[in-house]
Amino acid sequence: MIFINLISLFLLFYLKKNPGPTPLPEEIQKLFKWGMITAGVLIALGISNLPPQILYELISFVLVGAIIYLILNTPELEVQKNMAITPLPILGVQLLKYVVKTISVSTYENIENYLDAAGFFALIWAVTMWLNHRKQMKEIEIERIISKEQERQLRATAEQKNQLEVLVAERTSEILQQKEELQEALNHLKDTQEQLIQQEKLASLGQLTAGIAHEIKNPLNFVNNFSELSVDFIEEIEDEMTKIADCPEKENILELLEDVKSNLGKIRHHGSRADSIVKSMLLHSRGGTGTKEPTDLNGLIREYANLAFHGMRANPNPINVDIQLKLEEQLAKINLNSEDFSRVILNLVKNAFDAMREKIVKEGGEYKAKVEIRTQDLGDKVLIEVEDNGPGVPDDIRDKLLMPFFTTKKGTEGTGLGLSITHDIIQSHEGTLEIESKVGEFTRFSIVLPKSNP
Amino acid sequence: MKILIVDDERDVEDLFRQKLRKEIRSGQLELVFAFSGNEALEVLGSENPPQVVYVFSDINMPGMSGLEMLEIVKSRFPQIQVSMISAYGDTENYNKAMKSGAKGFFTKPVDFDSLKKEIAALQGEG
Repeated sequence: MIFINLISLFLLFYLKKNPGPTPLPEEIQKLFKWGMITAGVLIALGISNLPPQILYELISFVLVGAIIYLILNTPELEVQKNMAITPLPILGVQLLKYVVKTISVSTYENIENYLDAAGFFALIWAVTMWLNHRKQMKEIEIERIISKEQERQLRATAEQKNQLEVLVAERTSEILQQKEELQEALNHLKDTQEQLIQQEKLASLGQLTAGIAHEIKNPLNFVNNFSELSVDFIEEIEDEMTKIADCPEKENILELLEDVKSNLGKIRHHGSRADSIVKSMLLHSRGGTGTKEPTDLNGLIREYANLAFHGMRANPNPINVDIQLKLEEQLAKINLNSEDFSRVILNLVKNAFDAMREKIVKEGGEYKAKVEIRTQDLGDKVLIEVEDNGPGVPDDIRDKLLMPFFTTKKGTEGTGLGLSITHDIIQSHEGTLEIESKVGEFTRFSIVLPKSNP
Repeated sequence: MKILIVDDERDVEDLFRQKLRKEIRSGQLELVFAFSGNEALEVLGSENPPQVVYVFSDINMPGMSGLEMLEIVKSRFPQIQVSMISAYGDTENYNKAMKSGAKGFFTKPVDFDSLKKEIAALQGEG
């Protein structure tokens, strides 16, 4: 009967060593320990042959039965169920032997051979079962390892995915930023293109007008010269007429001559108007012929702002204007064609006067006309601003301001070339002209010039 | 004093004659006109030696330009003074004219007061 206890011991030992995928709870392990001790004691007792056989065998059966019961009823040992089944035939045979021996020894002796054979077969079956079970366990173990590996891979993949997502997010934001930068660059390009188109138009128009101006200039000179001459001649005739005796015919002749003289005066007047337009037009084509010299810009501004003011005061419809110069002192000399550039200052200041005159007429006494001229050192460039608090420029005409022959001035007051020429001159100095305005509040012309334009 | 005026515009003749009417009437000045560079050279070549002492010439003319004419006049008749009249007051033409020996350079419209002064000065020299 020691054999049964060996089975018990083996079962417990095996299960303790190979508990399966889930670790065993503390209590079960404790039970295992006590089971093994009991089995060990029972084996020792069996060898010593001390206890009464029947009792000893009963206890042995109870122990192994308890172990099998434990295996079958512990969820953690689910996979080891086969281990409970393995020794069952052996135990069955042993139990049968035990029962038969207890009931009738003679019967037992009669069938002992059969029982031994059954025991032998049971042993073979048990060994087979156990080997089979071990194989299964190994497969389960391999499966477990595989699934663990898969899980690890899955986790690694997830981590990789996360990393990729972070990377993608980074790249996306980079691309978005680049897109914005590109968009900005594109907008800038579009602006520049529009400006270029506008400048191209102005340039070709400038060439055209210069060509026309030349063609008109000669006949216009004749008109002006001959009308002037004729006025002189009529005056001479009038002188001669004083030597002739008075008569009604003479009176009539003198009257008619006076009319002709007045008409010639008108021809002369409008001829010189046309002439000033032609001269302005010709200035367009002259671009860049003058020489540039280092010039005291502040001095030039003081001189020509003053000149514009006194010119305006001496002409019809003078206005009261507060001119404020906010010039950056210690401004280095700037390479300028001072003759051309003085026209820029004159034109801008005169324009301001004309605009403010309109506002004075409209608004009357409350309004105080003011022009502010500023210079500012921008490092390698210089900023010149001419700002008035006149009526302002509506958005829809701001683009047209620089076009030749565009004028807001009525009748014979403007040629429509002042700002166009101003723009040309600034361009020939490699500078830029910007117009900012708020209707009813101000108009500001900002010129940016490079200090060392060639 | 005989003056030759060269311009392809025919009305220039009337203009000069009327502007300098007094000087012509008083016999101070005699005006001759040519309407091209070639014609001017013909006028100058028709007399030997030429009576003309002063030539005023336009620069932009069809055919021979005023500047070309200037060079020929200066090489053939170095004693004759030549002044140029141009609608274009540009430095390029001015420099060319002066280099070729022009006495003066007038821009259109011609300022007759300064023209008269120029002639008076020449007469003073003569």
